Amino acid sequence: MSEEKPEPKVPITPPEKWVDLYGDYLYGFAMSRLRNAESASDCVQDTFLAGIKALDRFDGSRDIKFWLRGIMRNKIVDQIRKSVKENQVDIEAEDEALLESFWFKYSGIATTNPDPWEFNPRKHYDNGEFWIVFQKCIDQVKDPARQAFILRVLEDQTTEEVCKVMDVTPNYLWVLLHRARSQLKTLLEQNWINP
Amino acid sequence: MFTCKQVSNALSKEDYDKLPPMRRFFLKLHVKLCIFCGKFNKQVMDSQDMCRCYKEHEENMVDYRPKMEDDKKSELKKLLFSQTQDR
Repeated sequence: MSEEKPEPKVPITPPEKWVDLYGDYLYGFAMSRLRNAESASDCVQDTFLAGIKALDRFDGSRDIKFWLRGIMRNKIVDQIRKSVKENQVDIEAEDEALLESFWFKYSGIATTNPDPWEFNPRKHYDNGEFWIVFQKCIDQVKDPARQAFILRVLEDQTTEEVCKVMDVTPNYLWVLLHRARSQLKTLLEQNWINP
Repeated sequence: MFTCKQVSNALSKEDYDKLPPMRRFFLKLHVKLCIFCGKFNKQVMDSQDMCRCYKEHEENMVDYRPKMEDDKKSELKKLLFSQTQDR
């Protein structure tokens, strides 16, 4: 008895229409992760080409836009891997000192007394404007901390995967994420309270 | 009960919201009560909450993000057309 492929729950958009329908959506996502127009265009192109190749495996259980976004996750990782290869991640003296500090060795934290937030961000979670400022602030975080943050936090890669992509130790990844969070906090305080 | 180092390790490896309920409960309890790592790890947890919320809002931000240039789109359309013809 031959097994028939189940009917897709959502219609499959033909690839010829993907650029018009999903081009801007995917490009916007890629730009928010890569900050570079050329890398973002390459990422969208690679995503579409991989999508065409894998279209037979699309089961139609969700909108093809989100399926393509899933494919793009791997392409973003590839682009960041490429960029890291070109600009090797070196441990800065300041970061080395942090890793060697008593508090880090004892409790895995940077300080017992971090500066408190100048405002309560939770109060603004329902405000769309806040997230636009948040995105602009992520863009201003310096590499490689930003790249580590994008991969680990926004693209949900595991610690092991991020360490492999960025060629860093788990401890140094922790420092990079700490840097990214601290910079993001400072930038949000600057741009949200005193724009 | 967790040690400070175990709490910090757990928070550095995973979003605390994805931890099993009992583990999450004891982790939150430690962070609330600990005079050593409480303030620091509370900020880590707040940052995780913020990023989770940002990701939920991302779908609504398409209009505020840069758009692909028209000539890039035309090039890509041609490429996709040629690829689909080869299939």
